[in-house]
Amino acid sequence: MLAILILIPFICAFLVMLPSTKQFKGKLFLLVTLLHGLIVASFWKVLPAPEFDGFIALDQMSLILMSIISLLFLLVAVFMLGYFEHEQRSNRKLIACLLALLSTMTLSSVSRHMGLLWMAVETSTLFSAPLISFHRNRDSLEATWKYLLVCSVGIALALMGTFFLAIAAHDVHTLLLSEILDKASSLSTNWLKLSVIFLLVGYGCKMGLAPMHSWKPEAYGQSTGMVAVLMSGAVTQCSFLALVRVGQICGKTGLADFYSSILILTGLLSLAVPALFILSERNIKRAFAYSSIEHMGLLVLGLGMGGVGVFGALFHMINNALAKVIMFLTAGSIAQKYGSSRMDEVRGVIHIYPVTGTFLISALLAGTGMFPFATFHSELMILNAAVISRHYVLAFFVVACLAVMFIGVARIVLDIVHGQPTEPVLEKKENFFMNSAIVAAIIGLIGIGLWMPAPLEKILSAAVLIANG
Amino acid sequence: MTTWIDASCILIVFLALTMLATYRIVGIIKIFAAQSFVLGLTPFFLHADGLTIRDIVIAMGTIVLKTAFVPFVLLWAMRHVSMRSEIKPIIGLGTSIVFGAMIIAGAFWVSLSLHLPGKPISDLMLPCSLSTVLLGFLIMVTRTRAVTQVLGYLVMENGIFLFTLSLFDVMPTLIEMGILLDIFVAVFIMAIIVNHINDEFERSPASVSRSKMGEAF
Amino acid sequence: MVSDVYLFIFNISISVENEMMMLILIILHWLIALLLSPFLLGVISKVKAFFAGRVGPSLFQPYYDLSKLFQKSAVYSQTTTWVFRAAPVVALASALLLVLVIPLGGLDAPLKFQGDIFLVAYILALARFFMIAASFDTGFSMEAMGASREAFFACLSELVLFMNFITLALLTRSISLSQMIGADSPLSWSHLGPTLLLVVASLFVVLLAENCRIPIDDPDTHLELTMIHEVMILDHSGVDLAYMTYAAALKFLIFATVLVPILSGWTGVFIKDMSIYITGLLGLAIVVGIVESSMARLRLNRVRNLLLIAFVLAFFGFIVTMWRG
Repeated sequence: MLAILILIPFICAFLVMLPSTKQFKGKLFLLVTLLHGLIVASFWKVLPAPEFDGFIALDQMSLILMSIISLLFLLVAVFMLGYFEHEQRSNRKLIACLLALLSTMTLSSVSRHMGLLWMAVETSTLFSAPLISFHRNRDSLEATWKYLLVCSVGIALALMGTFFLAIAAHDVHTLLLSEILDKASSLSTNWLKLSVIFLLVGYGCKMGLAPMHSWKPEAYGQSTGMVAVLMSGAVTQCSFLALVRVGQICGKTGLADFYSSILILTGLLSLAVPALFILSERNIKRAFAYSSIEHMGLLVLGLGMGGVGVFGALFHMINNALAKVIMFLTAGSIAQKYGSSRMDEVRGVIHIYPVTGTFLISALLAGTGMFPFATFHSELMILNAAVISRHYVLAFFVVACLAVMFIGVARIVLDIVHGQPTEPVLEKKENFFMNSAIVAAIIGLIGIGLWMPAPLEKILSAAVLIANG
Repeated sequence: MTTWIDASCILIVFLALTMLATYRIVGIIKIFAAQSFVLGLTPFFLHADGLTIRDIVIAMGTIVLKTAFVPFVLLWAMRHVSMRSEIKPIIGLGTSIVFGAMIIAGAFWVSLSLHLPGKPISDLMLPCSLSTVLLGFLIMVTRTRAVTQVLGYLVMENGIFLFTLSLFDVMPTLIEMGILLDIFVAVFIMAIIVNHINDEFERSPASVSRSKMGEAF
Repeated sequence: MVSDVYLFIFNISISVENEMMMLILIILHWLIALLLSPFLLGVISKVKAFFAGRVGPSLFQPYYDLSKLFQKSAVYSQTTTWVFRAAPVVALASALLLVLVIPLGGLDAPLKFQGDIFLVAYILALARFFMIAASFDTGFSMEAMGASREAFFACLSELVLFMNFITLALLTRSISLSQMIGADSPLSWSHLGPTLLLVVASLFVVLLAENCRIPIDDPDTHLELTMIHEVMILDHSGVDLAYMTYAAALKFLIFATVLVPILSGWTGVFIKDMSIYITGLLGLAIVVGIVESSMARLRLNRVRNLLLIAFVLAFFGFIVTMWRG
């Protein structure tokens, strides 16, 4: 079943390359994502059996990520139907790459072999790079280049880390996660430490954690909103899964303290750096990109804190993904309407497009973790973990960074929403598909903020048990 | 044969160092070709007493791909895509050379507490491969031109390959993963050629907005 | 007489029957060095001429030049003081002293004691100090500029030299040059090949730098702005210039003499060793000639990087030696 799930999008990626109409491609994409979503939904009832000698298997941890991927692709597919009504450019390359990306990300969420996981992340980098340069201009090529460069360094370092892990697990003779965890006591600590550092930096590049974040504002600023959603909500979180896997190994081998201390350090750095740069930002997409760095920092911080923090981090994975849908899809639709996403050129959205303006306000609230959006709860959980473990200074620091982030994002968003319209824009109707995708995300995010469904809580708790080892 | 392996390890680091101190991109490409050639010979030294088909394929593959094909493509790109011939380092070459020395010392220091499993082939392989990876990384982060960054990445990749060679007999599957990385690099280079990413991406200082400066962080 | 000097300076007493031997040894050293060193310069310029497609001056041209200079009297500017006159003497004397510290192809060094590598470095520095002082003494700004460059590059090359000495000392467990590169040196390429490769490479750069050969300085140029060594001896003439030139030739021989035994090793048979040594010197001169004809002089600010690279190579050799224990 899992193999089919990986293969279907991959085959369809080739199908899309054949000549056909734009509408057909869009609908095929929607169909594939719908199918993917249905299969994933069926996994919530019964977990499928491992395949390929246990190389591919689904546990609750993977299920969360896989559901996020599936949901995001579905929402993007719906949004895309509307987006390409106003777009001249062909969607062939975009959809082909998106389908290939869906396939590789599904693989990375289910792979239980550290080498296979690395491979999946590597290929997902390859397929996501052409997506960024969808608008083929100088800036987007630059962004693609930066993304490729930073991520390929990350991939090389992660490969080194995987090698070191292989050496540390020399007596285990395999990189299968379950085997390594079973025979964790035979791992060599020195090699494992080195491996953990390389893996953290390597996958951290891919995630956009702080010192390795420089590709993010460029890539998200230049790519279309849909691509930014998938990058920030799905691709980066796949790397987070890799970090969780590393954490599992560390937990079994007595390196938990070592690992959590470096996680907390990178997490704090990823909170501080965007807070430093957000205040001088004038482009809304780039501002959201900084917000994305911050959310990655929160994820890592929660994982590092342990206890309720892990629950918070895993919950935050879902919330972050939904918040990113609201943020980047709204930004994408504004960018399409105005041909720009800079606050100097886009003003007074609410006077011309009242619905989009409202979306932007909810994007602000969702992205900065305000009540009633669920991001509020997960951020609170992570903060709570810091307070429970008596890291008061740390908790204060996190709150301060979040506050600065809020001010920075609010400044841009409010200016864009309420400012004086600079010039009369041609009246365009709001698009039904585009708006319904965003509305779905808003309802979802508020929904799980107000009331967490029992199955979700069950899965999350099970995933926390897995992450804690 | 250990002396020969030692010598090639040291030569690889030595060539990475010279790359760090070279001004002309064409020069760096040629040194890279030399480095890859030394790297390609290493499998022969490893199994001098009994060469298998696998050794020969890996060695020849490395030599053909990295001493001939990649430098050829890069040199072709240098001629046809109107790239300027001098590197643009963000820190002075002197400083980066000193950093290089520190990296080598650090790599050896880290290697002190690490022991490779299996029969040790040469105790220099691990620290030298670590140094090469880090030197490549240094080249990559301190040069702004696209071609030099790719070259830095290639040096890193050579270091990783040297590392997989040190585990040649113990964990043969690692080589295959290394080869996957090679394929990735090939695609990576193609990206430059196809998209004509032909010059460094930077604007004149006057137009650098404050947010742009953020990325330097 | 010699034994008194030894006792006085180095606190080593030698017997009277050895004294005669020692004297012969010293004279042999001086003889070989003085006879051979201008010839090496001749070889270099011949090689350069060959690569430039010229016939070039005779191999013995440096001897003719020196003998002509020795017959001329020196001219002194009125602004100069005794420092200016002392410099050539000190330069030649220190070069001659250095010759005695180094085992010269099969011959033992007459002067050897633990720690003589420091003597080598400081005698080099002494000669350099006097040359720099003399060039300041002329009051000519160009010379002062050359002196400042010389001082800067010397700082770096001395660092490299010491780094290599440390490596060699670790390898041979001795801080005497005679034991490092002398007949009983334990250096062998089959065991220490990789390390020695690094030592030789960086020592070669030091040789080029200390002797002002091409990638660092061009001995044939006469443009004040780019010269280093030549500009410093611009005001010397006649016998003084002959002393300076001879000292420079000896310096090349000394560095080559350090390098050749590391490359070739020793056989233990005097005739063989001596012929290997002389062949080695000639080979090295040819290599320098080839380097000079195939490279352009580096821009001044890049010379620093070349020396830094040499330092990193030496440092790398040191690390590998430490690593191997």
